[in-house]
Amino acid sequence: MAAADSKRKTNKRKAVEEEAPAPAPSVFSHDVGLEMHSEDEGGDADSEGAEDDGEVDEWPEIDTRSDSEGEDSGNAEASEDEEEIEGEEDEDDEDDEDGDEDSESEANTEDDELHVFPKAKTVISDITGQPKRVYPEIEPEYDSDSSTEDTPNRVGNIPMHWYDDLPHVGYDINGKKVLRPARGDELDKFLETVEDPTAWTSAFDKKAQMDKPLTPEELDLIRRLRENEVPDANYDPYEPTVEWFTGKGKEEIMPLSAAPEPKRRWVPSKWEKQKVMKIVRAIRQGRIVPNKPKTASTQSQFYAIWNEEPSNQPAPLPAPKPRLPTHAESYNPPEEYLPTEEERKKWEETDKEDRERDFLPQKHSALRLVPAYGQFIQERFSRQLDLYLAPRIQRVRLQIDPNSLIPKLPSPSSLKPFPVYKALQVPHDRQRVRALGVSPDGAWAVTGDESGIVRLWEVLVGREVKRWTFPGRIGAVEWCPRTDVCFFAVGVEEQLKFIIPPNLPAAVLTATQSVLSPAQLPPPPATPSPVKWVSTAAAASTSDSTILTVDLPTSSGLPKQIVWHRKGDYLATVSGTEGQGGVWIHQLSRRHSQAPFKKVKGSVQQVLFHPTKPYFFVATQRYVRMYNLAEQKLLKTLTPGCRWISSMDVHPSGDHLIVGSYDRKLCWFDLELSDRPYKILRYHTRALRSVHFHPTYPLFASSSDDGTIQVFHARVYNDLMTNPLIVPLKILRGHAVRDGLGVLHVRWCARQPWLVSAGADGEVAVWCS
Amino acid sequence: MGRLKQKGKAGAAKAYITRSSAVKKLQCSLADFRRLCILKGIFPREPRNRKRANKGSSAPTSFYYAKDIAYLAHEPVLKKLREHKTFAKKLSRAIGRGEWSSAKSLEENKPVYRLDHIIKERYPTFIDAVRDIDDALCMIFLFASLPADGKIATSLIENCSRLASEWQLYVMHTHALRKIFLSIKGVYYQAEIMDQTVTWLVPYQFTQNIPADVDVRVMLTFLELYQTLLGFVFFKLYTDAGLVYPPPRDSEKDETGAGVGAFRLQEATSSQHINGLKTKEVEVNGKRVSSKEVRQTIKSISTGESGDGDIDMLDADPTAAEDDEEFVPQPSAANPEEAAALPTLKTLAALPQSGSSKLFAPYTFWLSRETSRPIFEFIVRSFGGRLGWPESSGSGSPFDETDESITHVIIDRPLVKRPNETRAERERRARRKCVQPQWVVDCINAGRILLEEPYMQGKILPPHLSPFGDRADAYDPTVGLQGQEHDMEDEEEEAEEVGAEDGDVGEGEEQQAVKPEQAALKAAAEAEDEAALRAAELEAEAAGVDYGTFEKEARKAQKKSKKATAQEEGEGKGEGEMNKMMMSKRQRKLYERMKHGEKKRATERENLEEKRRAIEKENRRRAKS
Repeated sequence: MAAADSKRKTNKRKAVEEEAPAPAPSVFSHDVGLEMHSEDEGGDADSEGAEDDGEVDEWPEIDTRSDSEGEDSGNAEASEDEEEIEGEEDEDDEDDEDGDEDSESEANTEDDELHVFPKAKTVISDITGQPKRVYPEIEPEYDSDSSTEDTPNRVGNIPMHWYDDLPHVGYDINGKKVLRPARGDELDKFLETVEDPTAWTSAFDKKAQMDKPLTPEELDLIRRLRENEVPDANYDPYEPTVEWFTGKGKEEIMPLSAAPEPKRRWVPSKWEKQKVMKIVRAIRQGRIVPNKPKTASTQSQFYAIWNEEPSNQPAPLPAPKPRLPTHAESYNPPEEYLPTEEERKKWEETDKEDRERDFLPQKHSALRLVPAYGQFIQERFSRQLDLYLAPRIQRVRLQIDPNSLIPKLPSPSSLKPFPVYKALQVPHDRQRVRALGVSPDGAWAVTGDESGIVRLWEVLVGREVKRWTFPGRIGAVEWCPRTDVCFFAVGVEEQLKFIIPPNLPAAVLTATQSVLSPAQLPPPPATPSPVKWVSTAAAASTSDSTILTVDLPTSSGLPKQIVWHRKGDYLATVSGTEGQGGVWIHQLSRRHSQAPFKKVKGSVQQVLFHPTKPYFFVATQRYVRMYNLAEQKLLKTLTPGCRWISSMDVHPSGDHLIVGSYDRKLCWFDLELSDRPYKILRYHTRALRSVHFHPTYPLFASSSDDGTIQVFHARVYNDLMTNPLIVPLKILRGHAVRDGLGVLHVRWCARQPWLVSAGADGEVAVWCS
Repeated sequence: MGRLKQKGKAGAAKAYITRSSAVKKLQCSLADFRRLCILKGIFPREPRNRKRANKGSSAPTSFYYAKDIAYLAHEPVLKKLREHKTFAKKLSRAIGRGEWSSAKSLEENKPVYRLDHIIKERYPTFIDAVRDIDDALCMIFLFASLPADGKIATSLIENCSRLASEWQLYVMHTHALRKIFLSIKGVYYQAEIMDQTVTWLVPYQFTQNIPADVDVRVMLTFLELYQTLLGFVFFKLYTDAGLVYPPPRDSEKDETGAGVGAFRLQEATSSQHINGLKTKEVEVNGKRVSSKEVRQTIKSISTGESGDGDIDMLDADPTAAEDDEEFVPQPSAANPEEAAALPTLKTLAALPQSGSSKLFAPYTFWLSRETSRPIFEFIVRSFGGRLGWPESSGSGSPFDETDESITHVIIDRPLVKRPNETRAERERRARRKCVQPQWVVDCINAGRILLEEPYMQGKILPPHLSPFGDRADAYDPTVGLQGQEHDMEDEEEEAEEVGAEDGDVGEGEEQQAVKPEQAALKAAAEAEDEAALRAAELEAEAAGVDYGTFEKEARKAQKKSKKATAQEEGEGKGEGEMNKMMMSKRQRKLYERMKHGEKKRATERENLEEKRRAIEKENRRRAKS
C-alpha cells in the first residue's frame, strides 16, 4: 500500500507539474517532447534540472479548475497525453485536502528534515480562499528524484559484474572511464567498520563499487518499511472523511433524468396482491397452517388402506417364517430331551453359528422358576438380519421318496438264466492267469499263466487234459472260432504258436492240419515281410508240439492280445511294444502278415474285429478308433472320456461297444447314436480288467481288480428308437485280490450262460447259472 | 450375422447390482440404504453365477436385483431422507451459530416420512399383511417390555405397549387364540386370524437389556415399519369386527396397573358408550348382541355344537336372528354395503369354533399372586373364562378372593401346611381346585378340560409338550412309550419261544396232522393279512383253542412272517443297491443327500429313545427298591 501511495503521490506531482504550463496548452506537450529529446541528446542534466527547479519555484499558482476547463475546451491532444481521469482526481484531491493542511504540517515538523519527498507548501487558494498544499515541481524529464543525483557512472542498469575484470567500472557522462575505487582487503574493511561510526549506515553502491553512506531520508524510509509504517512520513492514513457529494450545500436539486416517475413506484402491485391473496385464502381454508400442530404430524392416522382394489401386481415374496418350537424348547420337557454332560460340553464347544440348536433344553419344576432368556434380543436381531441381509431363493421342496430316485428295472430273477454260483475252480499253482480262451463249442478252456504253462481243461468238470510249457510268460490264448477245425493260438515272447488239442476226431484233425500246414504252401508275398511263418509237416506234427509258429518281428515283445476274425481266417495281435510294430493282422490261408497302420497315435491297448462288417476297432489309451479295412480309412473316433482304456468288446449285433477302463468306468457306446458314451457306469471300486459280451445270451460281464465280476443283462433292440436295456444282475465274488490285482480275464461259454474267469490269485473259476 | 454381443451388456451382469454400486447409484449413505432396504423389504439375491454377475470378479459382495434398486430410486422415502440430511445440516449450523429461533422453526418443520404407501405396496391385500405380522408382533411385545433409555424413546415404548394391548384385546374379543406353548424363551401364542395362523413369542416379564452386540438402529427401523403395519392391520381388524379403532384408554386405570383392562372396546355403531365396565362386559360375556354374533350363534347351532353354557346364544334375541335370517337370501341391489357385510363362506369359516374357543366359559379363575397376570389374563379371557386377581397384581379385578363363583385357583407355589387356617378358609379351599399354571395351557392345547389331578398344587408336573408338534418322522414322546412296551414284551416272548422250540422240534409235524387246534394255529401263523387272520381265529375257536393261546400264537407267527419279509426286503434292498448303479451322477448325489438327512434324523431319534429307555429302566429300578 505504501508503495502504491507513494506512486500516487508522484503521479500527483507529475500531474500538477504537467498542468502547470496550462496557459499554453498546445505548446506544452510539444515542449515536453522537445525537452526530453534534448536531454537524450546529451544536454547537461544538472544545469537543466537546476533551471527547471528554479522555474518551477517561480511559477505562479494557477487555478487548476480553470485549467482543466481550459483543457476541456482547448486541446484534445493534451488530454490524451496525460492520464485524464487520474489528473482530475488529483486536482480534486488537492482542492479538498486543503482544509486540514495546517494541523498535519505541524504534526510533521519533526520529520521535516527526514523528508524523502519534496516538501509541500501550504498556500491560500485564490479561488476558494482555502489553504492548500502545493508541492514543488519536479524536473519533467525524470520520473524520479534520483535523476537529479550526481552519479558519475553512466553505464545504466546493467549487471555490474560485466566490469569485474576491468580496471574501470563504467563511464561518466562525458564518456570517460570511471575507475574502480581502491578497495582494501578484508582487514581494512573490518577496520573501517570499527573506526567509522557511520559504517553501519552505509551501503555498497554497485555502480560506484564502493560504500556510500545512506542519507537520513533513506534511513528513515528503511526504518518505516521495517516497522510496517507508511514509507511517506507525511502520509496520514487516518485523514478525516471528506464529504464530496453529500452535506450542506451539495444537494442535487435538479433531477438527473427528465423522464417522469413511473407509476409502479407509488401504485401498490396488483400481482403481489394476487399472490398474497392466494396465501390468505389458503390460510383461511386451512390448506396452509402457519404453525402446524405437532401432534398431527407425528401421530400417524390410520385408515382403511386395503379398501380399494389391490393392484394386480403379485405380492412380493413373503419372508419365510421361523421354525416353530419343538418339545425340546419346553420349560418342562420330557426328561430324555435334557442333554447329557458330554452333549452339553459339545454344545458349548461348538461355535455359535455351527450349533444345531441355539439353546440347551432345560427343565424347571414350576413356571415361576423359569428365568428370563438371555439371548432373546440377540435372536430377534439375528432374525431381522436374516430378513434384510440374507439372500433368499424360492426353492421347491422335494417331496419325494428317495427310493423313487432309484430307477425301476426288471427284477433279476425274471431275467434268468445268468451265472450265480461258482461251479468249479481250477488251481494254477498260484500263478497269475492272464490268458484264457474258451473253445467255440464251449466244452474246452485253455489258460496260460505267467510261468509259461498252457493248460487245456474241460469246462464241465475242470479236468486238466494236457499242458504245454513255453519259456516265458503267456500273453494271450485264443481259440479259432471256426467249428470245422479245432486249434488255438498262443502268444509267447515274439511268437505266435498254433496248437492242435489232442483227441480230435480224425476228420477234424486232418482239416485242421491242412489249414495250419497245407501241403502246398501259398506263394510267398512279393515283398518280404518281417514276419516268418514256420510250420512243421502235417504228418510229423503231434499235439505236443506246435504245428505252426509265426515269428513276429524281433523286439516286438509279448503279444498281449490275440483276436480272431469271426470267420477264423484272420487274426490280429497286439504286442507290447509301442508304435508301429504293435498291431499285426495275420491271414492263415495266405500265410501272410501285415501291419495295418504305419503309425498309430498313442499306444494301442486293444483291437477288435467287427462281427459283420470289415471294420476294425483300435483302442488307444484315450480313444477308440473305428477303421474300415476294405476302404482303408478312419470311420469314427469314439471318446469314452476315461483316462486309460483297459478292455473293450463289441456286441454280437455289431452296433454296440462296451469299453472298460482302469479308472473304474464302463462305457456303453451306441455306434449308431453318438461318439460319446450312451451310458457310463461306475460301480467297480477298482480298475476294470476285462469285459465280454455273451455271444448268444443278452449278457455281458465285467471283471475288476476289486476281485468281483459283475454280470449284466444287456438287451439291445432292433428298433432304433428304443434304448438298450441294461440291468445289473449279479455280483460274483470268489476271487481273491493279490498284489492289487483281482480278476484278470473273463470269457463266456458259447452255448451256456456260463462264465469262465481267470484271477490273479492263480485260480480259474467257472460260474454256472 | 447379428450384432456382436458385448460382455457385461446383458444377462446376469445387467440383472444384478452390487451393494456398493447400488449405494452409489442412489446417492445416499450406506445407513440410509439399509434403512430403505428394511422399509421396502428389499433383500439381496444370490445370482446363479457370482462371477458373471460381478463382471468377472469373485470378491465377496452381496447382490441386489438392478430393478429393485431402480424402483428404490423413485422412492418418496429416499427423497425424504435426503431432505432430512439437508435439514440436519441446517439445524447443526443454526445451533452452531446460536440461532435458536431458526433452529426451533427448523426443528418444527422437520421432514417426516410416512410409510403408508410402502405398506400398501408390500402387502397388496389384507391377507398378505396378516400373514406377515408374526415378526412385527414379536418385536412389539419385546419392545413393550423394554426399559426406555437414551437410545429408545419413552413414547416408542408406550406406543409398543399400546399396540400390544390392542392386539391382545382383539384376540380376546374374537377368541382367535388356538395354541400356547410355555417355552424357556418365552410364551408362544398361536392365533388364527382370517384363516392365517399367526404365531408370536412374548418374553417372560423380566427387564431385558439390549446387549452391546446388537445394532439398535436396525431394530428401530424395523420397529418403525412394524408399528405402521400393525396400526393399519389393527384398524382393519377392529373396523371389520365393528369396533372403534383406536380403543380409548383410561389413563387412570392404566396408572394403577390395569394393563389390558385400561382399554375399552367400543362398538362402532353405538354412538355413545355407557361406561368402561359395561362395555367390557360386552367384550367378555357378549351381553350386547350384534348381528354378527347372531350369525355366529346360528352357525354354532348348525354345526351342532350348541354349546356348553354359551351365554351369547342364550341372550340372543331369537326374533333378531330370524330377521337376519330372512334378510340373508335376498341381498338387495340397493344396499350393496349391507350385502358385502353378509357372511360369505370365508367369513363363516373364519368365525371361531365355539367349542374350543369357549373352553373355560363355565369356570371362574382366581390368579394367585406369584403367577403372571398378563399371560393368564390373556389366555383365560380368550377362552371365555372369568378371571380375578389380587390387588397386588394390578387393579381392575372384577371380583375378589372371597367370591363364591371361583372354581379354580391358578397357583404356582409349593404346598405348605397352614396350621392357623379358619374353617371358612379351609372349606373354601376344598371347594376350589388349586391347579398349577401348566394345567390351563395343557387344557387349551388338548382342546378339552383335562383332569386336574396331576396338575394339583405341589405335584410334580407331567412334561409340557409343544402343541406345534415336530417333524413327521421325529421322535414323539407320547407314542414312543407304547412302542417300547411292545418291544419289551417281545423280548420276553422271544425268550419263551426259544425255550419252547428247542423242545418240540421234530414232533410238530406229526402232531399237527392229528390235532385240529394245531392246524388252526398254523393257519393263523400263515395268515398274512387281516381277513385271513380273522378266518383263522374263527377256525381256532371252532377247534376249541382258547383266545389267549391263539393270540400268542398269532403274534408269534406274525413276527416270523415279519422276519421273513424283512429278509426278503433285504434281498430287495440288495437289488436296489444294484439298481443304484444305474442312477445318473446327479440323481445319485440327490439320493445320497436325502439319505444322509434321513439317517441323521434317525440317529437323533434313536438317541432320544435310547435315553428314554435308560431313564425308564432307572425309574423302574428305583420303584422296585
